[in-house]
Amino acid sequence: MEEEEAKIVFVGHVDHGKSTLIGRLLYDSDSIHDERITEVQGLVEEFKRRFEFAYFLDALEDEMREERTIDTTALMFKGKRLYTLTDVPGHREFIRNMLTGASHADFAVLVVSADEGVREQTKRHLFLLNLLGVPVIAVVINKMDAVSYSRDVFENVCSAVKDVMRSIGINDDVIFIPASAINGENIYKRSENMDWYNGMTLIEALDSVELRRKSEKKLRFVVQDVYEIASCRVVVGRVASGVMNVGDEVVFEPSHTHARIASIKTAERDVSTAEKGDSVGIVLEASDSADSADSADSADSAVSAVRRGDVCGHAHDKPVTVRRFTGEAVLLEHLKTGERLNLKVCTALVDAEVSEISTRIDSESGEVLERFPSEVKAGDAAVIVFETEPVVVERFSEIPPLGRFALLREGKNIGAGIVI
Amino acid sequence: MSSRLRSLENRSIYILREAYAEFDRPAVLWSTGKDSTTVLHLCRKAFFGEVPFPVIHIDTGRKFREMYEFRDRLAREWNLNMIIARNEDALNSGIGPEKGKLACCTALKTQALLKCISEHDFDALILAIRRDEHGVRAKERVYSPRDRNFRWDYRDQPLEVWDYFQRATGEGTHTRVHPILHWRELDVWEFIKNEQIPVNPLYFARNGKRYRSLGCEPCTSPIESNAATIDEIIEELKRTKTAERAGRAQDKEKAFMMMKLRALGYM
Repeated sequence: MEEEEAKIVFVGHVDHGKSTLIGRLLYDSDSIHDERITEVQGLVEEFKRRFEFAYFLDALEDEMREERTIDTTALMFKGKRLYTLTDVPGHREFIRNMLTGASHADFAVLVVSADEGVREQTKRHLFLLNLLGVPVIAVVINKMDAVSYSRDVFENVCSAVKDVMRSIGINDDVIFIPASAINGENIYKRSENMDWYNGMTLIEALDSVELRRKSEKKLRFVVQDVYEIASCRVVVGRVASGVMNVGDEVVFEPSHTHARIASIKTAERDVSTAEKGDSVGIVLEASDSADSADSADSADSAVSAVRRGDVCGHAHDKPVTVRRFTGEAVLLEHLKTGERLNLKVCTALVDAEVSEISTRIDSESGEVLERFPSEVKAGDAAVIVFETEPVVVERFSEIPPLGRFALLREGKNIGAGIVI
Repeated sequence: MSSRLRSLENRSIYILREAYAEFDRPAVLWSTGKDSTTVLHLCRKAFFGEVPFPVIHIDTGRKFREMYEFRDRLAREWNLNMIIARNEDALNSGIGPEKGKLACCTALKTQALLKCISEHDFDALILAIRRDEHGVRAKERVYSPRDRNFRWDYRDQPLEVWDYFQRATGEGTHTRVHPILHWRELDVWEFIKNEQIPVNPLYFARNGKRYRSLGCEPCTSPIESNAATIDEIIEELKRTKTAERAGRAQDKEKAFMMMKLRALGYM
């Protein structure tokens, strides 16, 4: 338990209390350094403000001045296990930072203000979480103190949130918690003002989540580089899914190289096996079943075609190279049919063309706005058919790490998507 | 190695290998402190025993004697390709923290580094900052683009979804690469213990005091501590409520000092 780390992102509309909630959680669990408390007290005096728990998270002067979160913050917190709590901005203009923060999370907590209920970014954030494949574990209905701790208000807001989730297609098992972050009620400590609520506090809900890291069976090893170490070619990369063993017959695509794994290297020693998440180097030897079937193939020529961007899988379950695929993406800039750009899938960076935009989707409501439009606008989501240079992709639902891509225009990340 | 340390190491090695593959002229910054020494060790693991790019040490002339000794010893043992960066003009003009820490740090560290980068045309700098050190560092990306004037545009950081890092583009720009951004102070010490990485003796308590974070001698204070071994430091960190950089004076001169330093290109 001690070593397990859960990464949780807090999402929701601006001013619904995400930063206050995290600040409160850290404060009540005694996780804030003494210096930080003194520093924040100093800032409160200097800026002539009333103390706010959110100030524990603000690190940019502009954030304090503007009283809003501009960029994502990741804080570590030791509860029953180790948590990374990620705060993201609740403004539409900072979607980029929201996506950055959310993409690394195992789970999300949605914060909705009891007095305002579901708002624009409440819906957009739920839609984007669903697109990124991040499950929601809890919805905190915050600012219950502002609605006289009313059970009716709580239930109305819950049912509005459930409607939105249903319309987007989120079927996660979600805990709804009535809370007041500012007063610290049902966050770390139980509220005395809501005896009608017997469910979990936020910290109990976080601690109760089981981290079920998906472990896919198919081997996918992503090639980062090829090094020459003591006149031996070592293919370095990361196991994105499955398990790799010495002696395995493997195929690298798109370079279409058949080989056998002769050894697996870490810095200190050779190992017999590598599993998901491992960064290792592998040495290859000619495979019996190589297509070239040239018995004179040396170990070096067997590996010479392998390059950065290749993906390796077992010969009986090999990765498939595609020249066309469909993805669902969210765009930070406009995009037109016929436009050429770059796609990044793991370490592969390829030229691609927007062959067809099947649908343009409202990233707030999840509704289809247009079919076969000629362009999508910044902030829209879309289902897009890409024609690309040969590249290995997998459906996100099957092997997530190979089903995630970034769209690049002139070297700039302008969107993120999943292969459907 | 614990599964936590292994997964931290795996990710760091992945980031280092990405940077080595994607940049033409990377370099790593080494203060001789525990974090950047850990990064050097991770480089040696990622590249099978060597650090395949230059190692920059910014010499303000005001570091602790023990830091210079430690630097020179390890540089020899690990066969490092060292570049010592000094802002001689500023040093000759007699600049010091007495006249303002922002000006001093900027001249002796940031300007020295700026000059070093332009002389050697580095396009990537590998740095050992961690999110848990400071609120401003908690907002950093794994790849952090800097413009030709070295500025960090913290209001307009790139989209960094999953492990799709975005490098700086355009002439004169460089990218800061942060391979241990996701580590905690405690993780670093547990890793140092596990890997038997050499560390500067200033970290260990003498006469009831030790340094928890190392910088220039005039602006770094020791903390009250009796932790004289790595195990004792680990135990101390599990209990402490004091911030790691509490002894670093330059962050505290005035409000949002760290943000201001970093926007100008400080590490």
